[in-house]
Amino acid sequence: MYNGVDQFTAKPFWHNGPAPGAIYNFPGTKTHGTNGSQRSQTPITTATSIVAMKFNGGVIIAGDILGSYGSLARFRNCPRVLKVNDNIILGAGGDYGDYQYVKDVIEQKIVDEECLDDGFKIKPKSMYCWLTRVMYNRRSKFDPFWNTFVVGGLQDGVPFLGSVDKLGTAFEDNAICTGYGAYMALPILRSALEANPSPTEEEARALIHKCMEVLFYRDARSFPKYQVAVINKDGTDIQGPLEIQQNWNLAHMIN
Amino acid sequence: MFLTRSEYDRGVNTFSPEGRLFQVEYAIEAIKLGSTAIGICTSEGVVLAVEKRITSTLMEPNTIEKIVEIDKHIGCAVSGLMADSRTMIDRARIECQNHWFTYNERMTVESCAQAVSNLAIQFGDSDDDGSAMSRPFGVAILFAGIDEKGPQLYHMDPSGTFVQFDAKAIGSGSEGAQQSLQEMYHRSMTLKEATTASLTILKQVMEEKLNSSNVEVMTMTPGEFFHMFSKEQVEEALNLVVPMEKSQGDLPAAAASKATANA
Amino acid sequence: MAMMNDSRPHYPDYSTAGAVQHSFNPYADNGGSVVAIAGDDFAVIGADTRLSTGFAIYTRNQKKLFKLTDKTILGCAGCWCDTLTLTRILNARMQMYEQEHNKTMSTTACSQMLSTMLYYKRFFPYYISNVLVGLDTEGKGCVYSYDPIGHCERSTYRAGGSAGALLQPLLDNQVGFKNMQGDAFEKVTKERAIAILKDVFISAAERDIYTGDSIVINLITKDGITEETFPLRKD
Repeated sequence: MYNGVDQFTAKPFWHNGPAPGAIYNFPGTKTHGTNGSQRSQTPITTATSIVAMKFNGGVIIAGDILGSYGSLARFRNCPRVLKVNDNIILGAGGDYGDYQYVKDVIEQKIVDEECLDDGFKIKPKSMYCWLTRVMYNRRSKFDPFWNTFVVGGLQDGVPFLGSVDKLGTAFEDNAICTGYGAYMALPILRSALEANPSPTEEEARALIHKCMEVLFYRDARSFPKYQVAVINKDGTDIQGPLEIQQNWNLAHMIN
Repeated sequence: MFLTRSEYDRGVNTFSPEGRLFQVEYAIEAIKLGSTAIGICTSEGVVLAVEKRITSTLMEPNTIEKIVEIDKHIGCAVSGLMADSRTMIDRARIECQNHWFTYNERMTVESCAQAVSNLAIQFGDSDDDGSAMSRPFGVAILFAGIDEKGPQLYHMDPSGTFVQFDAKAIGSGSEGAQQSLQEMYHRSMTLKEATTASLTILKQVMEEKLNSSNVEVMTMTPGEFFHMFSKEQVEEALNLVVPMEKSQGDLPAAAASKATANA
Repeated sequence: MAMMNDSRPHYPDYSTAGAVQHSFNPYADNGGSVVAIAGDDFAVIGADTRLSTGFAIYTRNQKKLFKLTDKTILGCAGCWCDTLTLTRILNARMQMYEQEHNKTMSTTACSQMLSTMLYYKRFFPYYISNVLVGLDTEGKGCVYSYDPIGHCERSTYRAGGSAGALLQPLLDNQVGFKNMQGDAFEKVTKERAIAILKDVFISAAERDIYTGDSIVINLITKDGITEETFPLRKD
């Protein structure tokens, strides 16, 4: 990185600020390696955390609608929670292009399934397993989908919540948060679930809203508008964009 | 007998209207031209005895090899087209070694027969798995082996069908030999009795006179596994054949006196 | 080095760390520890239930023990996506063996198959610490441990995974009666094995951030497999 600098040369005069013409830290300005590669070795337009939890009789998944281009808040309307079918909802973080591609594949699967007209609908665990295999296969080709997916749904009436990352690392839990949410939102959800293992839908919605608020204040790549997907016995429902009421009054108190 | 078959006996993958695959049936006929082989399974082990056709006095009898080792614990007797049998034996050996490599255990006799059977039916049209063979193998095989179920004898024919037997004969003399086996076999047979019985029957069905150079004998036992009889051991075994024949009352006097002289 | 043919002007005083280049790493360290102890007529294996990455805990409730047969269990720690894939393929192979050979695979056969399966991926290995336990054909307890590329060793006790290096000397002392002065070797009993297993996991959870939450313990005897869970500290 600091080329031209060896042990005999003085350290650069100023090396924490942006270089001329480099106000933003744009992603993907360098191709990886010297022999050129077509693989997505780095995410470009990215989405941040996904926050999700089970509640009594269903699952809730939320994600804001910002598409970041490195540190630049580039796209302000990137929905990334998805209704797959009446059984399944899906949330995605990471590269937005990869998400759109996988979304197209999933939607085509649903259309194909619909065309069979046998009344069969893919269930959450199958969707989760399929996604795991897709992600693992791509990582094994060194050409990963740079995403973390959160699959929620009702499997024969029982809430299901699982997550798959770009390597194909898959696990299930009662509360799952990706990205910075894993550090900031997940502890909130876990302590809430410890106190009340089976919250109602309203309690869950309030908790998720709280998490999105915390994430908006603390995660620099977040946005005050988010969507929420909920699945319960009545079906799937996507709400939003919901707005986070900002209050920066505290900032005036700091000098 | 073959007159009505003319239309349906060309392709190996064309059924006749009666639902028969003539090429496979012809292949089964082919093994009836082969030299006779007999296998008997006892609780002590399995014995295989095979006739070797010495068609010329200038022939080196040792080079005819009709009983072969597949693995320490499985031996085979073959009858029919010997060249075809080499391919099948190769497969059996490879499958056994592969099994040992992957699972660090001896392949069961049944699994070995199954593996060879899979090869035996790869005739017909080529597919993704590679090019197929143009015709069925003209070979019948007796698998004699020991596994966790004890001593076992399996027979496989050119159709790939394999069945477990207590005693089985294949080759030109198989019909008569099988009949004799049926009469002689009993469950409490010792391996020694079985060896004598197999040689006795072989002697009955062979055209040439039975001697130590035109027969191969192998035993498969839990202690020794694959054991091919040496010329001396064959002679020793042949000596026991005579008294049994005597009891049947059809022994030529000359042979009897010769046998006693050897003993 | 890569900048050699970069023709842009270079201002050393203004050079910055710039955008972080994500180079793709197909492996992740998801932590987890496995401990197994075998006796004359039993085998016991335990694995913690924490699945983590870096400073984040994915879940506190992830089983890492996989039943292969009524006499064989595999414990996996390391790269979780590889574990998921390996165990799925293993299950398929177990079923294929059962159907091809009309019998259930023995523990020794499982151990050899796992070794060959790992080695077949020698140049893109499954990054997993595998510990396989079971009863052999004589009914004796056995433990097989592996490196990621298929080296296999049979022993009577083994610790693997993130706290493996921490726990192995402890097992050497407590189970193997090694490295101590004037104490005679004693065969470990079922009860003692489970007690040691719990103790070493408690110790591991104190020192290793990738081990904790709880353990699942499977005991294999001629009568079958029993399972119990035991809580560990969650921080």
